[in-house]
Amino acid sequence: MATKFTASQELDVFKDEKEGLYREVGNQAVWSLSSCKAGFGVEQLRDDSYDSYWQSDGPQPHLVNIQFRRKTTIQDVCIYTDYKADESYTPNRVSIRAGSHFNDLFEVEQIELNEPIGWISVPLKDGNGRPIRTFMIQIAILSNHQNGRDTHVRRIKIRSPVNKALKFTSLECLMRSNIR
Amino acid sequence: MLLHEPVQAAVWDALNHYNYRDATFLAERLCAEVSSDESLLLLATCYFRAGKPKQAYKLLQNKGYPTPELKFLYAKSCLEAGCCSEAEAVLAGNILTRPKTMDEIEIEFGNLACHVFNMLGALYSLTERTQKSVDCYRRSLKLNPLLWSSFEGLCKLGEKVDPANVFPVPNQACTNMVLQNTKLAHTVQNTPPIPITGLLSPVVDVPTSQPNVCNALFVEQNVDLLSSPEPGPLLSSQHTPDNCVGNVHDQIMGSIMLGPRPLRSVKKYKSTPQVEHNPPLNVLLGQYSPSFGILPVSTSNQGSTLAQNVTASLMTPSPAALQEKSNATKAPRKPTTRRTNQNQTLMPKPQSFNQPGNTMENNNMHTQNNPPNVRRSSRLFGHSNSSSVKENNKQQSKPRITSPRPVGGRKSKTRLSKSKQDISDVDKGEIITDIKATVPELQPQIQLAQMQQQSLAGILSLLQSLGHAYQALSEYSCRKAIDLFTSLPPHQMNTGWVLSQIGRAHFELQEYQEAEKNFKKILENEPYCIEGMEIYSTTLWHLQKEVELSSLAQKLGEIDLCSPEACCATGNCFSLQREHETAIKFFNRAIQVNNFFAYAYTLLGHEFVYTEELDNAMACFRSAIKVSPRHYNAWYGVGLIYLKQEKFCLAEINFRKALKINPQSSALLCHIGVVLHAQQKSDLALSTLDTAIATDPKNPLCKFHKATILFAKQKHKEALEELEELKRIIPKESLIYFLLGRVHKKLGNTDLALTNFSWAMDLDPKGVNNQIKESIEKRFNMEDDDALVRLSESDNGDVLPSGSNSSLMDADDMLQAVESDESL
Repeated sequence: MATKFTASQELDVFKDEKEGLYREVGNQAVWSLSSCKAGFGVEQLRDDSYDSYWQSDGPQPHLVNIQFRRKTTIQDVCIYTDYKADESYTPNRVSIRAGSHFNDLFEVEQIELNEPIGWISVPLKDGNGRPIRTFMIQIAILSNHQNGRDTHVRRIKIRSPVNKALKFTSLECLMRSNIR
Repeated sequence: MLLHEPVQAAVWDALNHYNYRDATFLAERLCAEVSSDESLLLLATCYFRAGKPKQAYKLLQNKGYPTPELKFLYAKSCLEAGCCSEAEAVLAGNILTRPKTMDEIEIEFGNLACHVFNMLGALYSLTERTQKSVDCYRRSLKLNPLLWSSFEGLCKLGEKVDPANVFPVPNQACTNMVLQNTKLAHTVQNTPPIPITGLLSPVVDVPTSQPNVCNALFVEQNVDLLSSPEPGPLLSSQHTPDNCVGNVHDQIMGSIMLGPRPLRSVKKYKSTPQVEHNPPLNVLLGQYSPSFGILPVSTSNQGSTLAQNVTASLMTPSPAALQEKSNATKAPRKPTTRRTNQNQTLMPKPQSFNQPGNTMENNNMHTQNNPPNVRRSSRLFGHSNSSSVKENNKQQSKPRITSPRPVGGRKSKTRLSKSKQDISDVDKGEIITDIKATVPELQPQIQLAQMQQQSLAGILSLLQSLGHAYQALSEYSCRKAIDLFTSLPPHQMNTGWVLSQIGRAHFELQEYQEAEKNFKKILENEPYCIEGMEIYSTTLWHLQKEVELSSLAQKLGEIDLCSPEACCATGNCFSLQREHETAIKFFNRAIQVNNFFAYAYTLLGHEFVYTEELDNAMACFRSAIKVSPRHYNAWYGVGLIYLKQEKFCLAEINFRKALKINPQSSALLCHIGVVLHAQQKSDLALSTLDTAIATDPKNPLCKFHKATILFAKQKHKEALEELEELKRIIPKESLIYFLLGRVHKKLGNTDLALTNFSWAMDLDPKGVNNQIKESIEKRFNMEDDDALVRLSESDNGDVLPSGSNSSLMDADDMLQAVESDESL
């Protein structure tokens, strides 16, 4: 059962980071792709530019594998796609799987996108409604708009909740709470 | 051989005028013509001063370094080029070559010994040989008490040094020794070096306010003379060029004077001593008569005002002091006695200072004999001196009074690039003209000597005060340090360095507002100040002043982009914006720029903690500790990591280590308390927190943690007390109300609990602490469902930015809601 998503350009995925709620953990992981065109690979997927993108170059489903060194708590996965620019390359159905390794993945979420322009944030929750803890995440692009063969994805972010210790809210206490 | 080559003179001239291109070019030609040690030294110096230490290093590596000066320069360039081991091998020998003892080093390097020891101290401290480093620093200070960096090094190593011993303010008692030495000086060239302390040593508890002039300056000269194993001419040949602005004759004279090397450390700006600078200083100073660093000239007119400004700490550099032997210790104040003393004792004087006597006399232009040697000194002090001396002669019976207040002392003091003895006499020279009762037959050189002594006394007493204060700061007795620093004379206090130390003291006390004020003052007075600015940036980080922080970072970047302070400030700026990746980049840059800047490592470690890369963070903190073992922030950082990893025992060990270094830090005590509680040692935790509260009553965290622990131990009443107090101190902290809510819940005061929880939620608009909401739900799950619903509804509706009034009103509404429900 797929959740429907319509991307909105207004969704500010960076707001929570600024406020210290979430943190991007993609840097702590190893990224690999099932296939890519030369010059349109992981580098372009992970840079901070909306103009560069990953273009796949093989059979569907196209996979993005993200492997962490240690079990990481994942709050959500954010994907930036642009229907206006990519048309038939824009992903339509995306499955997000998690597990310990390639042979141990189970599907956590399946989403359906409808002409998305901008960021999509897919929260990953386990059975109890808490963020999942996993070694590996696989984003599988099952189909594209207009039945396109290859796909373009411009940016992907993986976010993890920041350590949930009690934090002071007032400046006076914050000032004195640590030595820097 | 006497230094008489015009080429060498020209090179030194170019160097003195910062014309490195010409200097290097000429030096290279000279080296090609005459391959001697002098020319090699000249060339290497040119490279080094032009900011190319690596070239100097390679050159000397190539050509060898037989003389001590060359060795020293080679070691210095090794240090700059990063080859510490070679530097050490050259200076002190290492395991492979026979290591030299300190005395051997002293003999070998003579005048340079103080600097050699200074460098060795730095080298040893970099390589963790603390004891040797301490010994070297101490030795260098003994030889030359004006080397502040040695003192700083000692403090940084955690050594307890007594500034009174290190910066001995001279008194009269040593005049005897002095005179004898002066006589000796001219006869014997090869006596073993006598450290200054030896000569200054009968410093019997001299209060800083009375630097009764010992012939300290002469003492030093003599020391220099005595300690130089070099044939005099060679020394002078090396020294004179510094000062010689192209006058060949002077160089000749210089060679005659067993040119002692004046305390070069004082020379910061190698400008030809131009008098013009001073007058404005004096004028500006108004009240404060400087105790060192004023040219006689300029102050001649202000002589009277100076005289009138008798401040407490006066010393009459009585000529009596000069005059040794006799009486005079009491007499000094009375002009008459002084005069008589002078008259009496003047006789022997001229003989002992035969040679210098000539030149010094000639310093006074009014005796218009002009042998070539005079020309130089007259050029240097010429117009000023003459008038001043004349003035002096005219003014009778004005007590010579100077206050130990330095005036731009540092600047003018540094015009001491004299090599010739006569110049070096006036070395510390540009001393205040004292409106002393001059007697017609008063020899000018006595005057000069006195002035020099005054100047020396002045700087030493200033260094002593600074030493006490800096030492206090190094031990983290911050209040004491602040008091000591603020008791300095205002014109010294308002300098960048002092203000930054005061700022740092406040910073260590976690009084960030005060610290900020001080740092702001620095930027007003000295916008070019960089040292200590990284602490300012962290202060702003704590205060979360984003705009100021980014403007500081920009300003520092403008001044010097490649300084570790600027990089740290920028890193802090990004860290405040929570862009930790970029902050990491900048802190890495700071480390690259200066490998030994411990604070950069610490800050980088903290950033890694934020990005939860604890292994990298640990590595950074450990590097910081490696660079500077007394960097308590790094120890704290290690403890913090263990705390996050819940290894409480290890965390406690590291926090305690940090505490040992910085015993007055209440934040550290708080953390230790928390860790103890986590290890179930709650009583110990409580007592630690009590200590913390006692140390710093203004720190709310101690109380908060204490309340938490009391609550955990079920001592609800006491917890409530603490929290109520806290509420009064910090009314807007959400966690206080959260804890209050929990306490009340435990006590069964449901309504109060609810009130507090709602306040807590109100005060936390961003929902940073989701646990509050969760715990409210949890706690009331069993109970009134309606109440819960109403609570969450009202919460959703009422989440406002905190204003206690509004939250009070909300609480009332909710109270009513709950009550009405319960009534049902």
